[in-house]
Amino acid sequence: MPTTGDSLSGFEVRVSFAETQVVLGIRGEVDMMSAPDLAILLDAVITRGHQSVVLDLGELEFMDSQGLEVIASGARRVASIGGELTIRSPSAMVTRMLASAELFDTVRVEPRTPAHDGSRSDRLGPEQGIRTLAESIDFNASPPELLKRMAAIPAGHDVVDGGLRLVVALTQASIGGADGVSVSLQRHGQLTTVAATDQTILDMDARQYAAGEGPCVDASVEGHWFHAESLDHETRWPTFTPKAQRLGINAILSNPLVAENGPVGALNIYSRTAAVFSPKEQALASTFASEASILLQLGGVDVSDESTSERLGAALRNRHIIAQAEGVVMERDGISEEDAYTSMRVISQRDSRPLAERAADVVDSTRRIRAGLPAPKETSP
Amino acid sequence: MTDPLNDEFDQARLDAGLTHGDLWLRYFGLGGMSTALQVEAFCYGALSPSAHDHDVVAHALNERFVELGGNHPVAYTDN
Repeated sequence: MPTTGDSLSGFEVRVSFAETQVVLGIRGEVDMMSAPDLAILLDAVITRGHQSVVLDLGELEFMDSQGLEVIASGARRVASIGGELTIRSPSAMVTRMLASAELFDTVRVEPRTPAHDGSRSDRLGPEQGIRTLAESIDFNASPPELLKRMAAIPAGHDVVDGGLRLVVALTQASIGGADGVSVSLQRHGQLTTVAATDQTILDMDARQYAAGEGPCVDASVEGHWFHAESLDHETRWPTFTPKAQRLGINAILSNPLVAENGPVGALNIYSRTAAVFSPKEQALASTFASEASILLQLGGVDVSDESTSERLGAALRNRHIIAQAEGVVMERDGISEEDAYTSMRVISQRDSRPLAERAADVVDSTRRIRAGLPAPKETSP
Repeated sequence: MTDPLNDEFDQARLDAGLTHGDLWLRYFGLGGMSTALQVEAFCYGALSPSAHDHDVVAHALNERFVELGGNHPVAYTDN
């Protein structure tokens, strides 16, 4: 049944990768507040070249027309790179929405199976045997406990937490080989996981806290990054390493999160594959860690009111579209990141259009060119 | 040492009707990597931004002026 709770805390996306498939498991409500987050996640996986994308709606509680628009535009984008968007386990209501929007021709529908009609814990399957942090915390039953666990985050924690969860999901969707991602934060001198992609990752973090060692602990304390390229050859953390290997983890990259007075936590990226994080992935991880750090330092910004939280979400989405466009321009013109930014900024200034809109044009036109479609009218020289 | 350019930032911020928090959110949305306190310090001239940071803050202000029907009154480093 649809509820009118806080959209930021009532919406979760779990990203998981099968061999040729990426599955976005959606939980909670897709509405005006959360639809843009879903759109940018879909965008991130499509930009990474995934041609088989599954939206698992088995745990969806509510979706409005904006969610439907995200599905329609995601389906078009996947089709433009020769792929296919699958809608898995839609409710009867969503199925009717897809039909009335005439989307049956553009998406593949995998109907709801009996396994999806039971409670969440009855669900089976490779990507369904794990639970997200948000699921392991009962949002409805125990708000004080939730608040306690989020105490490391300054005022407006739900907003900041929403932002951190978006960063975690985007990190997993954007970094090749990332099988799981988490954010650890210091609270009363102890590390706590505040956002994680699944239960295995929660366990990985918890084992490091318990052992008092591991890349996540070291990055959080020492304030620089730690990369365990292959756990087979790792000697720095003798207690923790065998435990990680038993959970199937072979590579870990932890970047510190830094506040005004020094390190406060880490952004942790785990992979089952050794030596999977190239320098490019390492640079990207560092950018996401900086972003998470900034989210934790919202000093001077009152993020407690709804309009500010909406604007923070919009700001995060604009950043990602600008960063994507920067990458396109750098590759296309063979120029530096700052020069790419400046060239887009100059056009934004010349046309008196927001930079984010200009960036969206750049990304969209590249996508069309790759798909062999006519480019829209281009305004750049 | 204060950067004389930066006095212009705070005046422009006031003219644009933005709080420091509003300005930072706009700056962050444009890809800026400095914290809210650092951006506030740029405005007061207590910290000197890099050329890139200067241009991102200038653009954040200018996008607001465009919304208000103006042009791009805040100078970029290459102007």
